[in-house]
Amino acid sequence: MSAQKGLLQSEPDEPDSAPSADNGSVYYSEDPRDLGWVAENVPCQVACPAGTNIPGYIQAIMEKQYGRAYEINREANVLPGILGRVCSRPCEDVCRHGWPENGEPVRICHLKRSAADLKHSGHRITESLYTPSGKKVAIVGGGPAGVAAAHDLSLLGHDVTIFDREKEAGGMLRYGIPAFRLPRDILKVELHNALRLGVELKAGVCIGNGDGQVTLESLRRDFDAVLLTAGCAAATRLQLRRETGEADEGGEDPVLRVADAEYGLDFLLALHRGEKKTVGRRVAVVGAGFTALDCSRVARRLGAKEVIIHLRTAEEYIPVSKEEIFEAKREGVKIVGLRTPVGLITDGNGRLTGVKFVQNRLGGWRADGRRQAIPIEGSEFIEKCDTLFVAIGQKTVNDFMGLDLDLDRWGNVRASEDGMTSMEGLFAAGDFVNGSSTVIEAVGHGRKVALGIDTWLMGRVRRKTMVRMEPVEKPLRERSFDFIPRQHMPTIALNKRRKGLEREVETGMDVDLAHEEAKRCYLCNLKYQIDIDNCIYCRACIEVAPRDCIKLVRDVAINEDGSYGKLEEISEWNQVGAIWIDNDECIRCGACYLVCPTRCISISRLELVTRDV
Amino acid sequence: MAETEHNVIIGTGVAGNRAAETLRERDPDCRITIITLGSLHFYNRYSLPKVFQGCDDWRQLLVHPPSYYEENRITLRRNTRVINVDAKRRAVTFAHNEEMHYDQILVCSGGRGYLPEGLSDFAGLMHRFTSFEDAMVIRRLLPAGGRVILLGGDMIGLDLARTFVETGYDVTLVANDFTFWPHEVARQDRGTYEKALTNMGIEVHRGGRILGVEEGGEGKPARRVVFADGEVLDGDVVLPFFGLVPAVEFMLGSGVDIERGILVNPHLCSTDDHIWAAGDVCQIWSPEKNTYRFYYGWNNVRDMGEAAARNMTGAGEPFANGGGEDLRLDKNGRLLSPFWDHD
Repeated sequence: MSAQKGLLQSEPDEPDSAPSADNGSVYYSEDPRDLGWVAENVPCQVACPAGTNIPGYIQAIMEKQYGRAYEINREANVLPGILGRVCSRPCEDVCRHGWPENGEPVRICHLKRSAADLKHSGHRITESLYTPSGKKVAIVGGGPAGVAAAHDLSLLGHDVTIFDREKEAGGMLRYGIPAFRLPRDILKVELHNALRLGVELKAGVCIGNGDGQVTLESLRRDFDAVLLTAGCAAATRLQLRRETGEADEGGEDPVLRVADAEYGLDFLLALHRGEKKTVGRRVAVVGAGFTALDCSRVARRLGAKEVIIHLRTAEEYIPVSKEEIFEAKREGVKIVGLRTPVGLITDGNGRLTGVKFVQNRLGGWRADGRRQAIPIEGSEFIEKCDTLFVAIGQKTVNDFMGLDLDLDRWGNVRASEDGMTSMEGLFAAGDFVNGSSTVIEAVGHGRKVALGIDTWLMGRVRRKTMVRMEPVEKPLRERSFDFIPRQHMPTIALNKRRKGLEREVETGMDVDLAHEEAKRCYLCNLKYQIDIDNCIYCRACIEVAPRDCIKLVRDVAINEDGSYGKLEEISEWNQVGAIWIDNDECIRCGACYLVCPTRCISISRLELVTRDV
Repeated sequence: MAETEHNVIIGTGVAGNRAAETLRERDPDCRITIITLGSLHFYNRYSLPKVFQGCDDWRQLLVHPPSYYEENRITLRRNTRVINVDAKRRAVTFAHNEEMHYDQILVCSGGRGYLPEGLSDFAGLMHRFTSFEDAMVIRRLLPAGGRVILLGGDMIGLDLARTFVETGYDVTLVANDFTFWPHEVARQDRGTYEKALTNMGIEVHRGGRILGVEEGGEGKPARRVVFADGEVLDGDVVLPFFGLVPAVEFMLGSGVDIERGILVNPHLCSTDDHIWAAGDVCQIWSPEKNTYRFYYGWNNVRDMGEAAARNMTGAGEPFANGGGEDLRLDKNGRLLSPFWDHD
């Protein structure tokens, strides 16, 4: 019976995921003014490293077309169910609904998950296949960048083989992120769907120059192109002193030498490879990212009574979503700021008993947008602990290549815009090029470089980003939608979280929650325009506008790319050159459209799409 | 004629009002505006337990008569929510979109009762005690001789518990690490102080982990607290007292340094020369301890308000913590705390 209930939640027979066949009213544009309009007005899609058509899929959810919403996602990001759980959500940071005076951003990420969760159980995936090219591509690394590139390259007709040193594909998705944030059955299904179009996975194969390893040189010989997506597989080292107990012999990193201290990444990798891990009663975590948070939450599940995350700056400045911080705190994790670890305290048996910190004050802002922490001389203090996890970052490992490639100052492989390294036919993508980033950045870059490889292999550009323009007959939102509060993501009770590492904490929004949340989206891809030739300047639209979004202007600046720029507003009627909808202020409520007596306001939908040239 | 200096004070608690008073004394000509989210004039939070002794007229709690503000040319803006402070433009933005420019601003927004994240699911079944309105709601819900369950039990809560006991209510305290906050009581001394609470008539429940708060069953008190070991406590109201967290959200875009509270130097000036902070909202740099720290209690907060105002008018004096900070027992075994001392 439950299966039938599931069927009722979704549309009984979903249409093809692709937009309906283009008729005469749909146009595709490469005009910089149209591309510029989208860049200015659809901040979520521009912020998404994969370029996901966010208003498009949210509108589909609003219409309860979950399968279609899933497919719209999949056009840009082949792992929607995964990213709907673990994405860093750069889109929500810029969501117009979160701008001052507009309230809180839309739960874009969780809606993505809703599309994956609520789609028909027999949902049909749509893929547009090119004819076989006869070209072979090897991909080193089966993480998100590698999988995204493999999927796109296989669609483009190339024969793709992924080589991965681990037993299964997924990279950090499988070996870095705990199952309570990313269930393995979801991971398995989405990876399978991404790779089943003929991608061969050679798991447990190490690329390198050692015994039994496959050399990169041989891959270059046997394949037409090679893509390196080996990610950031090593923890960034932290220079700590060994303060007491056994004399510090120098040389080896104390974090590696003291039994109760470990790099957070190594801990998670070992745990997810199946190694049995234990923690002490008091756990200290040093670091400010998702790895630090994951270590702390795993430690609580493994029985630690006290888990404290120690920050160099303060909670306000760490690059982790507020929800993640909140859930960690709910599980009993404490977060304290303004301290930098300087040494490990061990007893006579070499067991960890504490960490020595120095007090910090906040400094200025670093070039990367992070806060600086300045240690205060003579302010050292000790925090007792039995286990320490250091999670201050990740870095690439490139000694397996045995090739003389150009590297940047962090040791990442240098690559051009299309992903080509300094060696012909050898490409690189994801964290292996950009350093430690996020899953969505890796997916986005993998996709982009896949197109670069295709262009290089085929000798011409076959797919291009364009703006799809389509008239819309009436407003798609109601003003009342603007007052819907941000919906919550249901979670399991705290007492159920301590029963192992597998139980997913966030349970997903049901149909009602997802629908309500989807209604909050302003659908910023809708462009409202006034035809000033038909406007009778009755001001009815200005009267009814809920915001200062319709303006009397004397002039409109033209940007370098030809798109419209700043408005020169005027209040004197005799100097009014036009009445103009300020799309920055417009919340697409449709009130102006409905009140206009001359029907001089039009609505069109502008979407960024990748299309055959 | 030069324009007078506009000093804006956010918050109308002890620190804010003392600061306004001091500013007026030291600069008779300056313009002073106090902004508060609340609807009432300044009243003494320490007087709120009087509500349970029969006081139900808020006017009896006021520290100053309403005419005080007019007489001292202090503009009091009530029911006004600050949503942003723009340090570059020296402007405060209110929720209703009005902007107010300032020359100097003093943030005295205080602290909000902290509810541990693990109990957040049950917030709707508990009652906060931060305002006169909160106190009236609790009084209405409590039947004569009813039972109050205090979770945590910081010094604000224990102050209220004294009144509850004196006025004939039963009080059960679910003690944990937050009990006696902000005092840092050594684990081995907790028993002694908890015994003092028992002597005061408070039933101390040093139980296990709280699983949740539920509505009471039919014919039972309105609430029940459920523990992980299956034990259940019934009560008419459940009040969380887990200390304070600084109310700094509206300052996040200002650019001043914030850790938990606004970070200020010993003169109570933030990292922006025109933004000052005093009271529960700020962490003050302690050169002796090489760290930022909070100072709590009526006397400290009042002194901070005064010190900030003096420094805003050029005094250049560091804030001095005048009183002790230790929890102690008198010769009769009664609990004494500087946190409870007030005018």
